[in-house]
Amino acid sequence: MMIHVKLLANYREHLPPEAKNGGVELDVPDGTTVREAISRFPIPLDDTSVIVVNGLTVDLNTPLKAGDVVSAFSAIAGG
Amino acid sequence: MYGWHLKLLRVNLTTKKVTTEDVDPKIARDYLGGRGWAIHYLYNEMDPMTDPLAPENVMIFATGPLTATPAPTGNRYMVVTKSPLTGALAHSNSGGEFPTWMKRTGFDMFIFEGKSSEPVYLFVNEDQVEVRSAAHVWGKDTHETTDILLAETSAEARVACIGPAGEKLALMAGIINDKHRAAARSGVGAVMGSKNLKAVVVMGKKNPPLFNAAEMTALSVDTSRNVGADVKKGSNMRIYGTSYVPQVTNTLGIFPTRNFQQGTFESTDKIDGIALKEQYLIRHTACYRCPLACGRLTEVPDGEYKGKGEGPEYETISAFGGACGVSNLAALIKANYMCNELGMDTIGAGMTIAAAMEMYENGYIPEETIGMPLKFGDHDAMIEMVRKMAYREGFGDELAMGSYRLAEKYGHPEVAVTTRKQEFPGYDPRGSQGMGLLYATSNKGASHMEGDVAYEEVFGVPVKEDPHTTEGKPELVAHFQNSFALIDSAGLCVFVALRYVFSKDRMIWPERLSEMMNYTTGEGYTPEEVMKAAERIYNLERMFLLKAGSTEDTLPYRMLHEPLPDGPAKGMVNQLDKMLPEFYKVRGWDEKGVPTKEKLEELGLPS
Repeated sequence: MMIHVKLLANYREHLPPEAKNGGVELDVPDGTTVREAISRFPIPLDDTSVIVVNGLTVDLNTPLKAGDVVSAFSAIAGG
Repeated sequence: MYGWHLKLLRVNLTTKKVTTEDVDPKIARDYLGGRGWAIHYLYNEMDPMTDPLAPENVMIFATGPLTATPAPTGNRYMVVTKSPLTGALAHSNSGGEFPTWMKRTGFDMFIFEGKSSEPVYLFVNEDQVEVRSAAHVWGKDTHETTDILLAETSAEARVACIGPAGEKLALMAGIINDKHRAAARSGVGAVMGSKNLKAVVVMGKKNPPLFNAAEMTALSVDTSRNVGADVKKGSNMRIYGTSYVPQVTNTLGIFPTRNFQQGTFESTDKIDGIALKEQYLIRHTACYRCPLACGRLTEVPDGEYKGKGEGPEYETISAFGGACGVSNLAALIKANYMCNELGMDTIGAGMTIAAAMEMYENGYIPEETIGMPLKFGDHDAMIEMVRKMAYREGFGDELAMGSYRLAEKYGHPEVAVTTRKQEFPGYDPRGSQGMGLLYATSNKGASHMEGDVAYEEVFGVPVKEDPHTTEGKPELVAHFQNSFALIDSAGLCVFVALRYVFSKDRMIWPERLSEMMNYTTGEGYTPEEVMKAAERIYNLERMFLLKAGSTEDTLPYRMLHEPLPDGPAKGMVNQLDKMLPEFYKVRGWDEKGVPTKEKLEELGLPS
């Protein structure tokens, strides 16, 4: 199934060359979880990482659905 | 005495008499410093019903015990007074260098009373304190004023001043220090203007000794090292400053768009930090003793929006960008420079123009009144409105009163997105429930800087909370309000304090901050005692607010009755009614939001 992964701000550097507007389409097996999808990118996941699906807060072990948009960013403070 | 000077400077602008006073060590301990000391003095010295623009209003500049210490970001001061915008309390915070230089004069706090009959500025070089004529800088912008006053005093001095907006008593006038830093919100610049006080110029070498300099230095170095490690990993705050945030709030569907009619902006990519860095960034800048360095010197090199300055920050991008529907980055950078130079709050100014745009498009305000079309996205008109607002020229005179009064005047109060008549910052509380409770109950009207629970709801600092749920938010908001009162009273910046000074388990923090307070002051505070002091400060502010007649904790119509039409929070409104009664209980307030006698006694406050 196809999903979309968007990496925001400093995470953009971990996107493959074919990425457009900070995001990339991915073909993943059914049942792929949020964590599995995001682990395809060399993001240094740590306590500053925030991952949302379709803009919503989710458990990282949640299986994705076709068309889901997974977004990830790193934050140590906001504005 | 350690940490504090325990000395304040009282300046009567009517008589030009300047006196110094000692601060009672018990008051110093119980109210911490900065924002805490200031509300203690304001509450005890002024009738909360005072007209904010009358000579009787008292305006206080206050540093904290950690200001001018080795503490990372120990560079802040607070401006506390009664707000002419909200009719309630103003407590506006700023960093840069001025606050540290102010503390080095040998005074922790300046109290301004009365009104000068002619424009003046205050010059303080330790024991040399002079109220001098400001006739030659009246009418000049903040950058010219700063340059002139530094030239005639000393290059070693630092300046906080108002621009034309403050002189003209525009209700979104702020106080600008070091040219690019602002104690911006709630019309504090108008209060300064009403006193004919153009500027405050400070210098000196007096610093109170630290109780335990070796431990304080070691703890500060360790904290800075932690910040450095994150920066090395690629902190967005270092690379982009707060300008990385539009991507985040837009992803969550809470990026105020076209005066909060939408929660996502289709042109966010054009106005965010990445675009800013690629096109206009010159270099990073930092406030005094800040290891984070989130500031950015930028330049628009040519064209109609040519200019050079610092920023814009997230809130400015939100107000002049998404909220005004403007995708021209150079224009919103220009609006930012203009606000700094003319002395205005970018949130208040941008959000008010956004409300005017909606009223124009709906035909509520005719084009003849405005003098030109004012559609969303019209960046030329937006820039013109910024200028007119600061000088109160033509329609700008109405804009200068803020969006609440503007919308009310034209019979459409539902267009104003304010609480306590102050414009919202850049987090739509329909998709960030805790932020709604914060705005509704904030002592200074809508503000993220009074307990920014977006740190948890949006950024996951120190832990990630679901922004769509109301569960647990009353406790979270009360805790953040107290914590921000603590940070503001100590003299630190929230950007570093929230992640590095507080522990991950927010229920046992703030151990590091109490250690810093102890190494600085020698007071031997327990973590519980500093949090209790913060709660005392917050409750005393609340008492001021209630006595000023600002008793209603609510949100504007749009937030409660118009669901977001787009994005991840589509269909949602803010469920304030689910949170407010519980919040009052958590706070120890009665069902009308009044602190109970028991709570006041527990905090050692007069009932």
